Amino acid sequence: MLPKFNILTPEQVQLVHENTLKILTEIGVEFSYKPALDVFQSHGLKVEGQRVFFEPEFVEAMVKKAPAEFTLHARNPENNLVCGGENIIYMPGYGAPFVHEVDGTRRNATMADYDNFVKLAGASKNMHMTGGNVVEPSDVNESTRYLSMMYSNIVNSDKCFMGSASGEEKANDSIELAAILFGGKDVIKEKPAIICLINSVTPLKYDDRMLGALMAYAEAGQPVVIAALVMAGSTGPATLAGSLAVQNAEVLAGITLAQCINPGTPVVYGSTSAITDMATGSLAIGNPECALFNSASAQLARFYGVPSRGGGSLTDAKTADTQAGYESMMTLLAASTTGINFVLHAAGILQYYMAMSFEKFMVDDEIAGMVSRYLKGIDFTEEKFAFDIIKEVGPGGHFLTQKHTRKNHKVELRRTGLSDRQSYDGWAKESIDTNQRAHKKWQDVLASYEPPALDGEVKAAIDEFIAKRSAELL
Amino acid sequence: MELFEEIKEAVIDGDEDLAAELAEKVLEEGLNPVDAVQEGFIKGIEEIGNSWKAGEAFLPDVMMAADAMKAGLAILEPRIAELGGSDEGAGKIVLGTVEGDIHDIGKNIVGALLTAAGFKVFDIGIDQKAEAFLAKAEEVGARIIAASALLTTTMNSQKGLLQYLEENNVRDKFKVVIGGGPTSKAWADEIKADGWAETADEAVELCKGLLS
Repeated sequence: MLPKFNILTPEQVQLVHENTLKILTEIGVEFSYKPALDVFQSHGLKVEGQRVFFEPEFVEAMVKKAPAEFTLHARNPENNLVCGGENIIYMPGYGAPFVHEVDGTRRNATMADYDNFVKLAGASKNMHMTGGNVVEPSDVNESTRYLSMMYSNIVNSDKCFMGSASGEEKANDSIELAAILFGGKDVIKEKPAIICLINSVTPLKYDDRMLGALMAYAEAGQPVVIAALVMAGSTGPATLAGSLAVQNAEVLAGITLAQCINPGTPVVYGSTSAITDMATGSLAIGNPECALFNSASAQLARFYGVPSRGGGSLTDAKTADTQAGYESMMTLLAASTTGINFVLHAAGILQYYMAMSFEKFMVDDEIAGMVSRYLKGIDFTEEKFAFDIIKEVGPGGHFLTQKHTRKNHKVELRRTGLSDRQSYDGWAKESIDTNQRAHKKWQDVLASYEPPALDGEVKAAIDEFIAKRSAELL
Repeated sequence: MELFEEIKEAVIDGDEDLAAELAEKVLEEGLNPVDAVQEGFIKGIEEIGNSWKAGEAFLPDVMMAADAMKAGLAILEPRIAELGGSDEGAGKIVLGTVEGDIHDIGKNIVGALLTAAGFKVFDIGIDQKAEAFLAKAEEVGARIIAASALLTTTMNSQKGLLQYLEENNVRDKFKVVIGGGPTSKAWADEIKADGWAETADEAVELCKGLLS
């Protein structure tokens, strides 16, 4: 792996930390959930109404309890993932309500879309997990939707996936489902198998839904991503430094809560901070400022000794066009080279998280492949310097017929999945662009994908649990 | 009239305190408050609006101008009412984020642009039950109820709001419009809202259209 690139000096990291502590102690964070307030109160923190004021030493001590890395277990152990350290994990987009078709037509996302995105992630060599909430399926009843979504992740792939964070009840059901899949609650407490995404409400608030889920996962010893999305200029200061401090305060407050509930709960420091487009007021994510927030967040997480979440292939474009390409490459490359460990939205995202696209998924899969190859760096072992070969070939010769070349090109020179490298005439036969190639590719991948078999008894137990809960909820 | 010119500039500069101060001066000098509104506040807002459309002014400019106008109007309205004028503006709108949802930045932007367009906006805040929307709308005599939701899970509260108005036989009293990230025209049609807009400035046009 390439060494991680730091964009901040140690002094700058300290400045962010100090400004964050100032926010936490003098302004505080609001938690609109009594159980969370009770936890803070029991640790002796000052609570006024719903606002909690933190003590610097307390925050620092709590954050230290979170592990620097943890293993997330998959139903196929080959797909287990280490989160943190030198590792990077890519997974699809999360939470989009719409799908944009190849021609840009927008429609509501469906359960069929959900299944297909999970399958594409399952098939992909570059997506390490199938993620969660890959789209919000509008054709499934909202009260049982989370069960259908997790079911899809479980049966369509044997990679790691995420659970619901929409409140305590859904969180507990998600943990229960994971427990059934892996053989019991004690099994997953020892070997965490499910992770969820907890979001603050910027500036400086957490709502009851998210807090209920955070507390459920923490109690069960399952990891949580604690993330803030500061929109510089509207929900945060227009200055990146100030917005970074707001984000940092929110995330540290959440991490502190998790450690209070269950010391040692694995957490991931999350940032999806970006900017407000000042002409319209919309969130804008495919930009250098977003890349800066991600890069700084990766480094801050290292400072706090926890894994980081951020980035993705982020764009404000509405189709998988040129804008989508350059914005996504910038944001994914920045996140990856600065050491973000857990990358949601690494495939499929369009229009500032509002939509997913199958074409964009394939484009992003290619981008992820390219970035992964870049992160691998250059192998400088002696054999790779090829001195003897260079001597043999000599001045004016060529290397194409060398055994060394035949052996090493497959390892060193990445083959493209989507990019076109043909001659002009080769390309001109169909003269289709990336979007059209992607359109064909995702259909081919789905047609040839075989979901891995799931043990019959386990499947039956899962079916039974979902049927029971659905009947209770509907 | 120099004072009205100063008012216009105060609005353009988004200077809330100055706008209020100058509004007081209008009253002190016994000038026509309706003229002050037309020649000062509205002229200022229109100029900022044009700059915004031309890409020369941005959201902070527009929103601060709206705040300045609101501050000035608050001071002049009692006198305008005394003189027999209306405090309707372009129309009264009750605005809020629905039950279960505490996101409000989009709602706040919409509120500011509606104010800038001359509407009287009553923002009831976040996580509001249907009852709260109706209570405020009846209290102030609003013609439009505008409900925002950011989450797919809270969109249903918009449906709930419309059902609540139906159940209470007051659906026809108001125009109901919805908005927010996961919403769409299709959703608005499904729940039988009177309108939907994707952006804040489209929301303004929508409300103008509904009351014309």
